[in-house]
Amino acid sequence: MKDILKLSSILMLITTIAATALAAVYSVTKPRIELKKQEALNAAKSVALPGADLNAIYDVKGNDKVLYYSGYMDTTKSNLVGYAFLTSGRGYSSDIESIVGVDSTGNIIGIQVLSQTETPGLGTRIEEIRYGESLTWVQKQFIGKSAKNLAVDKDGGEIQSITGATISSRAVTNSIVAGYEDLLKQLKETN
Amino acid sequence: MSAFKEFSKGIYAENPVFKQALGLCPTLAVSNSVENGLGMGLAATFVLVCSNVIISLIRKSVPPKIRIPIYIVVIATFVTMIDLSMAGFFPALHKSLGIFVPLIVVNCIILGRAEAYAGKNNAGLSFLDGLGMGIGFTLALMLLGVIRELLGNGSLFGLPMLGAHFEPVLIMILPPGAFLTIGFVLGFFNWLENRRQNN
Repeated sequence: MKDILKLSSILMLITTIAATALAAVYSVTKPRIELKKQEALNAAKSVALPGADLNAIYDVKGNDKVLYYSGYMDTTKSNLVGYAFLTSGRGYSSDIESIVGVDSTGNIIGIQVLSQTETPGLGTRIEEIRYGESLTWVQKQFIGKSAKNLAVDKDGGEIQSITGATISSRAVTNSIVAGYEDLLKQLKETN
Repeated sequence: MSAFKEFSKGIYAENPVFKQALGLCPTLAVSNSVENGLGMGLAATFVLVCSNVIISLIRKSVPPKIRIPIYIVVIATFVTMIDLSMAGFFPALHKSLGIFVPLIVVNCIILGRAEAYAGKNNAGLSFLDGLGMGIGFTLALMLLGVIRELLGNGSLFGLPMLGAHFEPVLIMILPPGAFLTIGFVLGFFNWLENRRQNN
């Protein structure tokens, strides 16, 4: 009985130290991680909306949340390039988050994966550029296609899924379709 | 045993993958290309060295009966701290190695070395042991990566090697290829060992 008390208090002490150390590291790194995320998002916005001026990509908010981004050629807001939205889908081992840009007719003009931790070498190939090519898998598969009726080849669509990574490919594809439907709804509500 | 031997034993004589058959889960999962093998190996080496040193430093105050949960808490805390710091301060490094970090937590080489070595030896030797084991693990992953990427994709480090006429044996970069490759490689090393003992 005495032994149990002694051992459990030692274990508790160690877990307390570990938790404190973790909390300290977390609070130091959190603002920096957020900052890096914001920088990455700004860079990704211009990838999703090619041709839009960086200063002319606006957040469209509803209930204090960013619903989508609208990008124009310049700050006069006269020439619309398109809309960009964030979307995510459950992949094989992570949520795959991406930003997708569409023009006013619903054709995809730009796309970038923002975060994912899929299986290295298989699922991670959604955002890798193969040797001898200049586009990532998502860019190659989706740019120029309509965001409405996308499906991977195994589901009867025309998106060529990555061999050995059908789940990751399907997750991205379906998340674009769902995200685009949301965008259409929000466009109706905000205009 | 000399300090150099503590370091070098992990590379061949006690190679974690080929001789101890430890850490097979990440080995099978990420050895489908040389680059992934290298990334996983380096990330694991870093964690292994740090966790070995810390375990070794606290070994005298750890009661033997609860050493395993304590090791796990220390290692898990450490891995999370590395993950957060990398994301905050070295985002480029985090982008290429960060993907392997969640896999390191379940890497039994790290707990294995804590239990078998760092819990019984001083910090300097534990550092060398961790470094040697880490390098041995990295080389093992890269060897499997070379075989699998070359046969399964016709390339090394993503660069085509076998020309346009080569038809890649796709199964080699898929999970079954991992089992086939490690089976043959383990068999080869056992054959070498048997031959050495018979002579």
